[in-house]
Amino acid sequence: MEKTRLPGFTRRTVLTAAVAGSTGFASAALALSQPPNDYAVDLVKQLTGKTPTASDRLHLVMPRSFPNGYTVPLTLAIDSPMTEADHVRHVSVLAPRNPLIEVATFHFLPQRSEPRVSTRIRLAEPQYVLAMAEMNDGTLLMTETWVEVATNGCK
Amino acid sequence: MFAPTPRVQVPSAAASGEVFSVKTLISHRMETGLRQDEHGNVIPRKIVNKFICRYNGVVVFSVDLHEAMAANPFIEFYLRATESGRLQFVWEEDGGGIYELEHQLTVA
Repeated sequence: MEKTRLPGFTRRTVLTAAVAGSTGFASAALALSQPPNDYAVDLVKQLTGKTPTASDRLHLVMPRSFPNGYTVPLTLAIDSPMTEADHVRHVSVLAPRNPLIEVATFHFLPQRSEPRVSTRIRLAEPQYVLAMAEMNDGTLLMTETWVEVATNGCK
Repeated sequence: MFAPTPRVQVPSAAASGEVFSVKTLISHRMETGLRQDEHGNVIPRKIVNKFICRYNGVVVFSVDLHEAMAANPFIEFYLRATESGRLQFVWEEDGGGIYELEHQLTVA
């Protein structure tokens, strides 16, 4: 008996399409977690007058989603030897979609304190939380992380 | 209103050069100034706006706190043990209130 096949719709093409589709989806998801967020860069420029560089030396660790906007845990760490020649001066945390966007600024001293801190913050709505670190040479490093909150912590 | 109570958790001894963690907490409402009472009047802002840690008189770590810090602000940070001495923790509140704690650290 002769099998009839739809042209261009074989097992191979179906599988290829499925793989292509899933990688497309995966790369879209990755793009979502690491966006080239011009808005954040502009915001930092307005606040500091400097252009920040996105850096993987900054680690801003927050839950991707949290039920309560009143006490969202935040951990911040910066890869730095903390010597006189190479250290972090201070790190600021911003929540751009809060009614007041500044959250906190942490100041460190080379050789005396480690650029690592944990605290709890309020978030009004789901948003990208930003961290920007000013290094001793004046450069500004930046990172951001998406946090989904279910309730408004600013009311 | 309850009186804010500061608390710290610090080791009392550390090896020279060792990095140790400091956990601090102050019970404080951190009133943001964004809320209204039942008559629609704005409740004035009253937050802890500054935290300072001194190690034998040297400011080794400090924080500028803004409205988006959670109530009862908890801050954990890390210091390097350099010499035996006094650790001093200061919380400064809007309106000039100051809360302090001290801790003796022995470095071997």
